[in-house]
Amino acid sequence: MRFKTQLTNIQTFTKLTASLTSLGKVCWLRLEDSIVRFTIIPDQGTQVWAQLPVDAIFEPNTYTLESNSGVINLEVPIGALHRALRSANGANSAQIRLTKKGSVPLLALTILSSSWTTGSNAIGISNDEEFEGLFPDEGDRRGTGPRERETVISQEVPVKVLHESAVEGLHEPTCRDPDVHIILPSLLQLKSISERFTKLATIDTKTPSTTTTTTTNPTQPPPSSAVPTTTAPGGSTASPKLELSANMHGSLKLGIASDSLRISSVWTNLVNPALDPAQLSQTEMQELPSERMRRLGEEGDGEEGWARVRIDGRDWGRVLSVGRLSPKVVACFINETALVLYVYLPGSWNGEDSCLTYYINSYST
Amino acid sequence: MTHLSFLLTPVSLVRLHEALTCLAKFNESVALEAEYDLLRLSVLNSTKTAYSAFVLEADSFFENYTFSPSSDISSASSSNRRPDRFCCQIYLKALLSVFKGRTSEKDKDTAVERCEVEIHEDAQQTECRLVIRMICGLGVIKSYKLTYEPMNVQHAIFDRSRTTNQWTIDPKFLREIADHFSPSAEQLDIHPEGDKAIFTSFTTKIAEGKEILKQPVHTSVAIDKKDFEDFLAEDNLHIAISIKDFKAAITHAETANALLTARYTRPCRPLQLAYEFEGVKTEFTLMTRGEASGDDNDAPNSSRSTARESLARQSQPTAQVNPNRPGGQAPENRRTDMPPPLAPAAAAPRSRPIRPLTGTPSASRETNDRNAENERPAVASMEFDSLFVPADDDRQWDVPNDEEEGEDMLGWDATADQETFNASLGAQLQDNESHTLRRDEPVEQQQDDMGIPPTQRMSQLHGLGLFD
Repeated sequence: MRFKTQLTNIQTFTKLTASLTSLGKVCWLRLEDSIVRFTIIPDQGTQVWAQLPVDAIFEPNTYTLESNSGVINLEVPIGALHRALRSANGANSAQIRLTKKGSVPLLALTILSSSWTTGSNAIGISNDEEFEGLFPDEGDRRGTGPRERETVISQEVPVKVLHESAVEGLHEPTCRDPDVHIILPSLLQLKSISERFTKLATIDTKTPSTTTTTTTNPTQPPPSSAVPTTTAPGGSTASPKLELSANMHGSLKLGIASDSLRISSVWTNLVNPALDPAQLSQTEMQELPSERMRRLGEEGDGEEGWARVRIDGRDWGRVLSVGRLSPKVVACFINETALVLYVYLPGSWNGEDSCLTYYINSYST
Repeated sequence: MTHLSFLLTPVSLVRLHEALTCLAKFNESVALEAEYDLLRLSVLNSTKTAYSAFVLEADSFFENYTFSPSSDISSASSSNRRPDRFCCQIYLKALLSVFKGRTSEKDKDTAVERCEVEIHEDAQQTECRLVIRMICGLGVIKSYKLTYEPMNVQHAIFDRSRTTNQWTIDPKFLREIADHFSPSAEQLDIHPEGDKAIFTSFTTKIAEGKEILKQPVHTSVAIDKKDFEDFLAEDNLHIAISIKDFKAAITHAETANALLTARYTRPCRPLQLAYEFEGVKTEFTLMTRGEASGDDNDAPNSSRSTARESLARQSQPTAQVNPNRPGGQAPENRRTDMPPPLAPAAAAPRSRPIRPLTGTPSASRETNDRNAENERPAVASMEFDSLFVPADDDRQWDVPNDEEEGEDMLGWDATADQETFNASLGAQLQDNESHTLRRDEPVEQQQDDMGIPPTQRMSQLHGLGLFD
């Protein structure tokens, strides 16, 4: 079993691992000839299945993979891998390989980085004068000027090699066709508003207060606009659950409700991406739940055109940490059931191939 | 009556605060020793594996420094055997809280203009205090009175003339290296190989099965020997120290902007990190691990020599070597001025002889336990973040930690576990002879040879009728 490659797009790899780290401690890494998969299945919360072409993070010419089955499955402590990769920030080159120390398999990361010193006083240790006195006078400074200094860093991340039989029972969740699919607005904005809402609801449940209404005023960038609305108190929540809903007419609503407050923000003029017409016939297209929802929404501002899910505020915040990769995110709403996010990474490689899929279950009311 | 007073400028106040912050990483109280020409702040950690000392020179560090020791030795605190100096111990958290924030208010009208520190110790008075007065702008004067305890200071003795390996480097480079280490790594191995010096972080814990994934990442960083100001160390000689102590030293060295020198002989012998700046001499004497080579002073030899050493010390207990003045008065007959290997108590459980003469063993054990407990929060509160790759914008994507935000910084604890404080001092206070930190071992060795319980010196046993 052999795996060895140079890294490319170290930044992307580092950010990817950072996003994954927020969701779980252990990651199933599956290395194949042309694709790399990262999967996190936590005991509770959101699953993520990420698939990248090899050349998204590895240098294809140096990519060596040898195994009986043509596949290597590893269990990786993703946080440790992320930390190790941070050492490669700004490195000249970095190599990763599967190796062994004693009985412990390791992912060994070898990083070569160089920097310029500012006028260091380098002295060659071959200098014979050094050995005349046991300890040379420290005041005697030799060598001049800036020079290039090279540092070799090696990080050894302990991993577990998984047998194919250990992972064959793991399957990506399957869902019915979505009711609404929509491209999410800026994740940073979405994240900060979500966090604010979650916090308000948390404070609210912690300290029973007489406040009956609370308004928030999130900032809104063009072209989409968020309209904060405040309604009468109602509903009840034990732990903060965000209500996320969208329709097929470019609107997304994020809201939270507790005993004493109900807040929501609405984005409009978002894009509902069209599905690939080549894959479906005209009639099939018409029968898609999303098209039905689109027609429902046309009849007015009624509730019927909206698909909604209820998600855990904290978990949602962890999911949104993927925003650091500045991706394009398509959210697929399956009414009252689940929210599936397709996260497409920017970059030169084929967007179709590199996709992170997040599966978020909806809580019932 | 002992009188000590000195005046600090705002600049030296900052320096003092930095030094105290560094010392606080080792233990909870600092030993303060005043001599005619210097003030020494030192801390020995609870496991006695790390000793750090800051020597502030009277002439160059202080604006004004006066020290007059108690003239009447008999009436002075019984622990002060050396009449020409004054020793006491102060709770570091209390001392730090006095200086906290003083350094950042430079631009305010009420910024500190100078700081006066005084100690008046009088055997006739029941209440002795360290008095710190901050003279601020607009006529504001802030006074603090801190309690202190008399104590015997324990110094780690390190003989620089015997070191065979030495290197000097800008601490900035060491900091860059430390940035790559996992926060959970415990030990740091240093060894030269060819034209590289290799720093490897590792942990001694061995995990099995599922735990494998929780093991800290092993990180090794190789830098060119050219990055050192000078480098003279035996090739492939591995020496290992605690990462926590290493980081504490380099963090301070970096703020002091001083070149740091490491000196050592071989594994299991102490390593010293030292540097000097602006009237301050700093040294960290640390326990090392590793595989001791058998060629020179091997283990049996050295234990015999420590026995001899302890005898030598007994015959002339006052002839203590001042570790801060290398090349000083190292007596001829002391073959090993460097303390023998410092093994942590847990790592090297020795058969402890029963000590019937005093209550020290149980008391000190209790204290150790308590110290160990107390040490844990200290570790947690160490600002690991500051040592690692600086936060960038990427952080904004991190999951917010609501729990953390709610908690305030720990300030002055008014409930003052005076009890714990006293207890932690208890052990040291019972020693009534100044000696090195390796007191335990030499005396035990000596017990093997001589058959004397280890807690008291022969000189004190007169009158019992046993050794007269």
